[in-house]
Amino acid sequence: MTHLGEQISALIDGELTGSELDRANAHLAACERCRAEAAEMRQLKRALRALFEVDGDDDLTGRLLAMAGPGGPVPSRQDRREQYRRGRGKGPRDKRPRDRGRRDDGDAPRSRARYVVWSAVSLFVVGIGAAAFSMGGGGGAPAPKITPQLEMFSVEHAIVSGTVPEPDQTTAGASVTRP
Amino acid sequence: MLAMPALRRPGLLISAVVAITVPGVLAIVAWLGPDHTAARATAFAGAGAREAATGSGELYDYAETAQDGMGIQLLGESAAAGLAVSYQGVELLAQSGVAGQDTIVSDVWHSGGVTVTQTSDAAMLTGTQPYVSYDVDNHSPEGVFGVTKTLVSLLGQHYVAVYQGTGSAVGRPALIVELHRADGSLAARFWLDKQTMVPLRREVFDTSARLISEEAFVQVQFGALTKPPGPTAASGAKASAKASAGGGAATPSGSDWSAVTAPAQLLAGLNKQGWRLPVSLPGGLPLYSAARSTTAGGQVLDLGYSDGLSVVSLFVQRGTLAQRPAGWQQVSLPGHQVYVAGHSIMWAGGGFVYTMLADAPPLVVTQVVASLPQNTAPGFFGRIMRGFRRLAAVADPFH
Repeated sequence: MTHLGEQISALIDGELTGSELDRANAHLAACERCRAEAAEMRQLKRALRALFEVDGDDDLTGRLLAMAGPGGPVPSRQDRREQYRRGRGKGPRDKRPRDRGRRDDGDAPRSRARYVVWSAVSLFVVGIGAAAFSMGGGGGAPAPKITPQLEMFSVEHAIVSGTVPEPDQTTAGASVTRP
Repeated sequence: MLAMPALRRPGLLISAVVAITVPGVLAIVAWLGPDHTAARATAFAGAGAREAATGSGELYDYAETAQDGMGIQLLGESAAAGLAVSYQGVELLAQSGVAGQDTIVSDVWHSGGVTVTQTSDAAMLTGTQPYVSYDVDNHSPEGVFGVTKTLVSLLGQHYVAVYQGTGSAVGRPALIVELHRADGSLAARFWLDKQTMVPLRREVFDTSARLISEEAFVQVQFGALTKPPGPTAASGAKASAKASAGGGAATPSGSDWSAVTAPAQLLAGLNKQGWRLPVSLPGGLPLYSAARSTTAGGQVLDLGYSDGLSVVSLFVQRGTLAQRPAGWQQVSLPGHQVYVAGHSIMWAGGGFVYTMLADAPPLVVTQVVASLPQNTAPGFFGRIMRGFRRLAAVADPFH
């Protein structure tokens, strides 16, 4: 007696038709071994299907669709809170900014304008800071190099203070040079 | 609720904040700039003046209890005598400074509004050329031992002058006048020649009653004089004179300095141009005189600060020090590295060169130096703030 072999898998998957299906069923009726093998295979297949089976929650599907689509409705926070209270809020939390849910066709130019404003403000602040840093340096017109004319100052001080002028105790000449 | 649209548009909100903040910061920086510093200094000076006024009230009370209005009157007469009386002699000056004590000797000849002075240090190692000063309009601030008309008027505002009786100096009968501070401590003592009223001797004491300055004739002659020391003005002595009337008016030929009649206004104007000139100095020294001159290095400003007894002349020039000056001693004072030669102190700070000649207690001199600008690296934020000030000055339509 020839057993079904690989035909068992085709039988369980529903791939046999016509005379092949009749012969396979007739054999299963007479062969206990092939019946047992077919039963095991069905059980295995159910187990595998159960692993990948997703609960077809309508609410979850709706929210997933809303995330994918540009204009889909987003449930309000209150609605989500009620859903959660009813034990149906098992889906992923909506972390998107609220504004995005209201986005319409006019939001794109507004976003661009926002970026332009930000860029302009950043450039302005950086530019002002750089200019201030540059202007705050010690640069500028070269300052003249000074050797104070001590004797001239001493005489002037003597006049205004009503004293005698102090003798120049330095050997430096009263000269002025420019850089 | 009105803020909600702005919160939903952070870009607009930031723009509005920046648009308000940046001009605001510039305006505040401009307001806090040199003008405001000057304004604060003026306000400080005003407060100081009020304090001095309060103090002067106490001084007048003290003067009344000392049965003295005579002391200041004698000093006033002495200031006039120092101009009008002809005298000739040798002066000795011993004074404590930040770098030690100096003693100098001067040959002085004064007659008919002309003064000839030749000064040397005690060791006779160095000496000035004889210089001649002309009191062309009889309003010169010159005097003997700091007794000038201007300084005596300041003395009356800050000290109590008390006549203490008679004594003698350089072998001549003298009237003794003492200056007392508001707390009653002795600040100075004068010996005035009983016959001519010319000052013969002056001693100055600090607040700890230490003698810090002593000036005296060691030889003096009144009336008929011999010829002045050294070469005369006509034969090449250095000449100096000061026009005392008219702010910034042209001075007589040979003069180096032009007096300014409104020193405070001059300072306010220059501070707007970036100068940093105080209207008063630590130690209670208000600005009382200003003069300008021009050298090869540009404009030089001479600012005189005094309470009548201590005198600080501050010479300010734009620029930096040419090199480490020969003959000057480098001294570290609080906040400053300065160069000292005798009673002259020199340093550079903030784009200016300061030269200070002071007849004042060393402690006051140190405080004065510390209060003035010095050369330090501004640091990052200091540089940014300085840049904002300059930007604000450029953007100021009224500047």
